[in-house]
Order: sequence, then structure tokens, then C-alpha cells
Amino acid sequence: MRVLSLLVALGALWIAFPARAGSILRARLNSDIVSTDPGTRRDENTDGVLLHLVEGLVGSREDGSVAPMLASRWSISADGRVYTFTLRPNVVFHNGAPLTSAEVVWSLQRYLKPGTRWRCLEVLGANGIAPVTSVTAPDLHTVEVTLARPAPIFLTTLARADCGATGIMHPDSVQADGSWNAPIGTGPFQLGEWRHNQFVQLERFARYAALPGPRDGNVGGKHALVDELRFMIIPDSSAARAALIRGSLDVIDNLYPADLMGIRGREDLQFQSVPVLDCYSLLIQTQDPVLRDVRVRTAIALTIDAKALTKAITRDTGSPNNSPIPVASPFHGPAEARMRPVDIPRARQLLKASGYDGSVIRLITSRRDPQMFDTAVIIQAMAAQAGLNVQIELLDWPAHLARYTTGNYQLMVESFSPRLDPTLSFGLFIGDKRQEPRKVWDSPRARALLDEATQAADPAVRQSLMDQLTLDFLAEAPAVVLFNSSRLSVVRAAVTGHQNWPSAQPRLWGVGLH
Amino acid sequence: MLGYILKRLLLTLPTLLLVSVGVFLFIRLIPGDPALVLLGEGADAASLAGVRADLGLDRPLPVQFLTWLGHAVRGDLGRSIFSGEPVSTLILQHFGLTALVVLTAVTLATLIAITAGLVAAWRQDSAIDLAVVGAATVVLAVPSFWLGLVLLLLFGVKLGWLPFVGYVPFSESAVQAALFLVMPIVTLTITESGVLTRMMRASSIDVLQLDYVTHARAKGLPESTVLIRHVFPNAFAPTLTLVGLTLGHLLGGVAVIETVFTLPGLGRLMVDAVLARDYPVVQGCLLFTAVVYVVVNLLVDLCYPIFDPRVTAR
Repeated sequence: MRVLSLLVALGALWIAFPARAGSILRARLNSDIVSTDPGTRRDENTDGVLLHLVEGLVGSREDGSVAPMLASRWSISADGRVYTFTLRPNVVFHNGAPLTSAEVVWSLQRYLKPGTRWRCLEVLGANGIAPVTSVTAPDLHTVEVTLARPAPIFLTTLARADCGATGIMHPDSVQADGSWNAPIGTGPFQLGEWRHNQFVQLERFARYAALPGPRDGNVGGKHALVDELRFMIIPDSSAARAALIRGSLDVIDNLYPADLMGIRGREDLQFQSVPVLDCYSLLIQTQDPVLRDVRVRTAIALTIDAKALTKAITRDTGSPNNSPIPVASPFHGPAEARMRPVDIPRARQLLKASGYDGSVIRLITSRRDPQMFDTAVIIQAMAAQAGLNVQIELLDWPAHLARYTTGNYQLMVESFSPRLDPTLSFGLFIGDKRQEPRKVWDSPRARALLDEATQAADPAVRQSLMDQLTLDFLAEAPAVVLFNSSRLSVVRAAVTGHQNWPSAQPRLWGVGLH
Repeated sequence: MLGYILKRLLLTLPTLLLVSVGVFLFIRLIPGDPALVLLGEGADAASLAGVRADLGLDRPLPVQFLTWLGHAVRGDLGRSIFSGEPVSTLILQHFGLTALVVLTAVTLATLIAITAGLVAAWRQDSAIDLAVVGAATVVLAVPSFWLGLVLLLLFGVKLGWLPFVGYVPFSESAVQAALFLVMPIVTLTITESGVLTRMMRASSIDVLQLDYVTHARAKGLPESTVLIRHVFPNAFAPTLTLVGLTLGHLLGGVAVIETVFTLPGLGRLMVDAVLARDYPVVQGCLLFTAVVYVVVNLLVDLCYPIFDPRVTAR
């Protein structure tokens, strides 16, 4: 027995203190990444990992505004169509090659090829709202991008995380036949090993040239403070929490509020909560025979106590909000801060006036994240107070997504990932249903206001347009925005410098270990 | 014997064809579009159409099926829609670990079941029998994920004896891999031992009441000899059938165990593929599972004569 105990103890010591060549920071991913090709075959986890490897000409500051990254500066022609970027000197790729305009032109042209399936092609492609007509290199350190028409959204689009931040890569990232190989970027980490369903290992890039200043969004102060960054794929949140307590994991990012149970208050862990620019909403199909009546939609909206719902769903970590502009956005002003009051008697009156006969209204949700299903349950209960007969239909995520995209629903609980620009936030809802059935707000006036906001560069003008859109949105109730969540993280006490930001991506540069 | 094996293998072909048709159709009956999952919620119609065309999903179903089947019979199960990797490579990468866990656990569970079932039957209605039946019933009622989490919290977190995240393959560190697999194997062993023990006990009770066992005892043979030489071979046949069935379905993946213990096995590969509507991976995994099921049951059938000479392969 003693021998057995000794063996077990030695085994435990050996596991607890394995030989390490350098410092390793271990962070959890709840599912494997999809690919290593930025902005193409992707999901949020993929974006988060790859943004440690690649960088674009521009990036996002902490407040969501656009800032220089690989470009040291840019200028815009008088007609608003030509963007001239000057590249930062002394930037090198992970393979040691210097960054020149040739790699930028190659990268942008590759993204713009339909075969690349770049996420932002829908904006910058021929049919987009900011079509790029040419990308040229006047000299080694200058790149000119010409648009078919002026579009202030161009720079914001380049910085979008879901488009891989339009990461500039070396042409050796693809094989001779044009197929994808591996990202050779300019980020503070380079790709080490990707072992499917186990981990993605990134190594510190010793020759990385960080922008000066403190950490800011995904642009400033990007210093790799550990030798290795290991994203470990741990689907089960209980196992992830156990691993954190045990010390087999250093960072759990993007926790759901329910996951805080059992670990909140532990002294060996640090907790962080940062409001993000996402959006949880109840979408309403305005072409449905019952819901096309604005009185029914308004009645539904009047039954929902967004404050109470937010408190219950997010364990008091989210922000109730009825505007598509998130609370953390600089465009969330007094007009956007208005909350629709709960008014059950008024809701009953509206339903009676509309002739609603108590017929079943189906509410689609899924367990893509636990908050979506819980939200549906609470909405069902709240709506019942006014006599609305809401029945929940639970689908898995791909089926939910298919119904969303085709507009095949009456009510749907949907969560949208963070959008850094306010026009993108409204763009989630506004559109022509004939071309984009997923859009809930098919109003000519709203479309015109959104187009105007997309073209406007002056922040004051944009704010005014956002205010008008918000008021119209509340009046027409094509959807009910419910809340913006917070990005919850928990890290071990030995981890230093970890700080989330309002985007949806983990940020593990500037993070070290005692 | 060789003829029998060939005949059995030939009989599996229609089964596999039916499985392939079923798998191909059923995964497509589930709502959800792989192109949409691939591109995400903001995808425009043109991009979706382009991806569907790239994936061949715009062609008629019979054409898609025949194309896939034509490649499959040549050993090419296609490529994952998401990772782009060959499905056969993905299956082989993930199956090894699942097979290791399942074979070890089922072997241990069988050994436990034989011993406990025989003893319980031998001492029917005694305290030992009651304890064995009670334990087997409890084990049958306990969900594997709960048992796994309890073991994980006890031996992984509380005592800190065993690792449970960050699986390391045997090729890198045999000791660490073995330590990592202790909890998944123990969980699966306990979970599967319940039903096997019940089966072994029931069949042993039946055999103990047969005349030849009374005759063996009357000859003055020791009880251990009676049990091991005369009762066990005859009582084990039904349990062996169950072992075969258990092995067959577990080798198709133990998704719950693999999720709790973050094992990159076949079960997780398949569940992830279903959730992403990764048709080629789902089809490949299920076809592979069907082949494994058939082969395992053939092997089990071939083992019958070893335990019961009355059964011969014809």
C-alpha cells in the first residue's frame, strides 16, 4: 500500500510539474477552430486564435474605432474613393521576409477572389456596398485601394474580426496550386502546432514589432509575454472549470453566467466582466399573418420586462437595452438609452384591437448558448400575462440558422456577435426581405436612413441618424432588442495582465505568468 | 471455417449498402445547411450558392449518393466540409483512441462480470448475491457523464492524482497517456459492468440448475472446478453475445465520456460533425461504425465454439 501511495504521489508530482522549455499560457476553447485561413472558413473561436497570428492594415481600438496597424497612416482622396496606405517600416513576416506593398496587394487580391470565400466579400466585392475596383502598389511601401463609390465603412470593414481583420499574409501561406497551407502573418505569435480537437499551439514571434503605447483593442502594445500560447479544446464547461481549479488551465474566456456557479469568490482565481457589443433579440416575422399587425408586435414588446429578463438570464452581468446600438458603443446616447416600459393592460388593449384570437405563436430558439433557451422561456411566461399564446420550438443550431436565414419563423430568439460599427448593428435588422429574407425590418425609410449613415463620415451626423433609426425601431417593433451581454473571464491568480475588451475575441498578448 | 467467414462477410455487403443509403438520406432530412453553417449567419445568397456548388450539394440526391458511394468503395470517404481533411484520415486519427479506451474497458468489465456473476449465481439469494445484484442495478442507473464528473472531481481536482485535460498520445509519453486514460476507462468499465454482470448471473443460474452440473458435483469435483470448467463455458455464451453488441456500439464512439474527459475520439468527431452538418464526416463515421459492428460480431460468432463446442461454424 505504501509503495502504491508513493507511486501515485510521484505520478502526481510528475504531472503537476512537467519539464517545460519556456512559459506556457493555457487558455480554453469550447470547440476546435475551423481552419487557419483568416476570414474564410471560420467561426468566433477561429477568429480569436488567428488574430494572434495575423494583422491587417488597420485594426480596432478599445472603443471600436479604426486605428493604424500595419499601415502607419492613410489618406483618402477628395472624392472619397481612393485610400492610400503607407506601410510601417521594419515589419517582418513569421518567415523573416519584410513586409512590402507586394504582400499587401497579393493578400487583398486573394481576399477579393470569389473562390477564397472571404467573409467581407459581400461588402467589398462587386455587389457590395463598398466595391473595391483596384488594389495597386505605387512603391514598396505604399498601397492604393480604389472603391467604385465613396464608403466610409471601408476601413471598419477591413478591421472586422470576422473577416480575419483582413490579415496581411506572405504569399507562401498558400501552396503552389493556390490551396491553403498555413498563415505566415506578422502577429506577435506564430503558428506552432494544431492538433485537431486537442489544442492549437502558438509560439512567440521573437522579431515581432509592436506598436508603441499601452494595449489598445487589437492594435496597440501587442507584446507576447509568454513563450507559448496553448488554446486547449475543452467542450465541457464543468471539465474546464475543474481544470482551472486544478491548475491545468490558466484562462477561461467567454464563460456563460451560469458557469460562474461554484467558482465565484475563490481567492485563487480572478474574475473579469466587460460589456461587449453583442445583441440578444427577439426577432418578429413582420410578414406573418398574425405578426404583420404592428399592434400585435407592440403588444409583445410591451409584455417584456427587459431589465428583469437581463438580470435573470445574465446573473446581473448584462446590460438591458432596447436599441440595436449596444450599451458599450460610443453611439449609445440618450435616444438609445430609452427603455420601453412594461404595460400589460396596454398590451391587452392592443391585442383586442388587433383581433388576436389566442392562436399559437411559435417561438424558435436553440441551445447554441444556454442564454438563448432561457430567454425564450422567460419571454413565453411574460407574453402569457397579456394572453399571448407563445409556444417554444427548440431546434439545434444548424436548423435554427437555416430558419433564421430563410425567415421561416414567427418569433425567434437570436444572439448576434459584436459589431463594432453602429451601421453594422442596424444592418443586422434592416434590409429587403425579397433579397435577404433574414432581415426583419423591411422599411424603405429605415433602409434610406441606414444608407445615409453608411455614407456619412461625420460622427455627429451618424449619431443623429442612429437616433432616428432607434426611435423608428421602437415604434415599428420589427424585433425587440433585449440585452447586451458581458464577456466573462476567469483566470488563475498567477496570470498577469489579462483584460478583455468589448470585441468577442480573446486577447492574450500582454498576458504573462508569475 | 474460411468459407463461413467469407459467407458472413459477403452477407454484410447488403447491410452496409442499406446503412449507407440510410445514413446518406437521414442526415439530409435533418434541417440545416452545411453551406450556411460554414459561412455563418450573415452569408448572402450568392456565396451560399457558390459554396453549395463547390460541395456538390446543388446536384440531385441520387447523383450525390452515387458519387459518394463510388468513391467510398474505392476507400475515399471524401473530405470534411469544414477542415478540408480526408474523412478516412480523420476517422483513423480518432478511432485509435476510442478503440483503446473501449477495448480496455469492455475487457475489464467482462472480467468483473464473469467473476461477480458466477459468484452471485453460485451463492444465489445470499448476501453476496444481494450485494452483486444491488451494485449492478446501481451501476445501471448511474449516467456515465455523472460518474465521470464525480471521478474527475475526486481524483482530478480534489486529490490531484490524475490528469483530465490535455490528452497526450502514447507516442509522446506512454506514462502520461496511461494516467490520462485511467478515469475514462474506469468510468466506462463501471458503466458497462452492470448489464454484463446481470446477464452473466442470470445465465449462470440457469446452467447451475442443469443435470450435468449436478452430475459433476456428484462425481465429487470441487466447486471451483465445477464452476470454471463446467458452468462458465456454457453460461458465458449469452454474455459473450452481449459483449459483442456492447463493443460494437461503443466502438462507434463514446461521445459523453470523450466530452467529459476531453478525449479526441470518434464519438466527439461524429457529434461535432452532426452539429455542423458535415455530411462527409457523418457518412464516413457511420459507415465505418457499421463495418466495425459487423466485424466485431463476426469475431464474437467465431469465438462461440471456443466456449461451447456444441456450436460449430457452418
